[in-house]
Amino acid sequence: MTKPDLSVTIAGIHFRTPLIAASGTFGYGTEYLDVVDYSAIGGIVVKGLYLEPREGCAPPRIWETPSGMLNAIGLQEVGIEKFVTEKMPRLCELDTSVLVNICGSSLEEYAELARILDDVDGVSGIEMNISCPNVHEGGILFGCDPNMAARVTEAVKKKTSLPVIPKLSPNVTDITAVAREVEAAGADALSVMNTIPAMAIDVETRRPRLKNIIGGLSGPAIRPIAVRLVYQTANAVQIPVIGIGGIASHEDALEFLLAGASAVQIGTMGFVDPSVWRKTLDGLEDYCRRHAVAAISELTGAVET
Amino acid sequence: MRRDEKATLVERRALSPDASLLCFRSSFLASALRPGQFTMVRLPEAEGLLLRRPYSFCDAEPDREQFSLLVKEVGRGTRALARLPEGAEVDCLGPLGSTFTMPAPEHRPVIVAGGVGIAPFLAFSRALRAAERDATVLLGGRTAHDLYLREEFEALGMDVRCATEDGSFGEKGRVSVLIDDALAGPVQLYSCGPTPMLVKVAELARERGVAHQVSLERRMGCGMGCCLGCVVYTSEYVRCCSEGPVFDADSIQWDRDRHPL
Repeated sequence: MTKPDLSVTIAGIHFRTPLIAASGTFGYGTEYLDVVDYSAIGGIVVKGLYLEPREGCAPPRIWETPSGMLNAIGLQEVGIEKFVTEKMPRLCELDTSVLVNICGSSLEEYAELARILDDVDGVSGIEMNISCPNVHEGGILFGCDPNMAARVTEAVKKKTSLPVIPKLSPNVTDITAVAREVEAAGADALSVMNTIPAMAIDVETRRPRLKNIIGGLSGPAIRPIAVRLVYQTANAVQIPVIGIGGIASHEDALEFLLAGASAVQIGTMGFVDPSVWRKTLDGLEDYCRRHAVAAISELTGAVET
Repeated sequence: MRRDEKATLVERRALSPDASLLCFRSSFLASALRPGQFTMVRLPEAEGLLLRRPYSFCDAEPDREQFSLLVKEVGRGTRALARLPEGAEVDCLGPLGSTFTMPAPEHRPVIVAGGVGIAPFLAFSRALRAAERDATVLLGGRTAHDLYLREEFEALGMDVRCATEDGSFGEKGRVSVLIDDALAGPVQLYSCGPTPMLVKVAELARERGVAHQVSLERRMGCGMGCCLGCVVYTSEYVRCCSEGPVFDADSIQWDRDRHPL
């Protein structure tokens, strides 16, 4: 059997592998160069950007929970100008697709970021963060209301010819309502899902574990929820879905693909195991061979219910 | 150059009822590490534990291809590591972070450590000794049990002075009671330990105009500069894992940084 085709194309963006680094877990792309096999990575979503630099939340910012990680970083970031002049040239040297994650405290800020990125060499697409649980303006507020989510998508689409991929929050009553609205507003694909708002308390001191009180839960603990949301979303829209949530192995990645994802993002497990990329990709290739799958894209939505 | 290395536990030495010195074999890490740096250790398979844990390199013996970590049992993660059987392999990512710098020739190094804060200083003391430098080592702890590795520093010929809060060994009181005497003449301070101790040492150092390098301990997600979970406030939030863990103590705004571990 010939080598299975592990590349995928989503909204016109070619990813040489279906494994994408999740925003906020891979810095500005170059931090892992000496320890990660980048050839296993199909794309990188850079840390969320606003127009201006942001300081982020006061620490403590992270806390481990069973098979999970709670974080409230609060989008500490360098601002779009420094990103474009200092970070993007180094990202361009990597042989991988680059998605830029944008955030805003207003519709106008999202639109302006999209306008600026439209002219930047090397950007393959825009992931729209409308689901961050840790900022007090914008973020998740845009993602929880289907109409608001659609308006942001529309405003961003008007300013750029790049593919636009809203990243959806799990913290909604019906994710398919949000998914359908942003699809109608022109979204080219969807990232499902962001972290789940969560909380932990130190019972001895009676204080929250995080200074921000509430943070976002990630890691294997949230995976079955993410698989369910990808399944529901993929069945509700025509546009491709990128699955995210606690992927730690090729079996996990396959669950997302079978549930309807066209590619997956890996985040928290990249912190734990820099070799997760290579191991997962090798596992996917082996699976394709064992199951006589010529192209990994054949697996999207192939769950038998 | 950093690598994720398989390190084999070759010896576990109990230092107190709840602290052990774990000695690992890894020729790469033993020769690549510099005093002050740390490693992210992947915990042995234990239900529900996910993230790696950061540990300062305690000692380095490149000739024997060995390095050691000082582990105090304070929770499930540290317990899983401390009770690892000899011969077990663990993934150790490193060496990571900044290093202590050698004192100027005219400065006598004074090391101030509280409890497990002594960890990064054994390798550093070996480096000082190799450079034919003497150091004063001030050890503090709640009781005599918490004065780890005292004999090792003495064997290196360092001037070791101790204080315990319960008076069970050395002076009675916190380690700061030892500092005044140790600051005579031109010195360079190095410190690691609980935050209140570090703040106190930093205040004293600033009053006296003494240069002071501090090694900070923070919860870390990745240790590689990506998760931004371990930040320390200077004039902005900087990463303990990448800009630190060794900082110039004067650069830190302690009033914005007093968070519990």
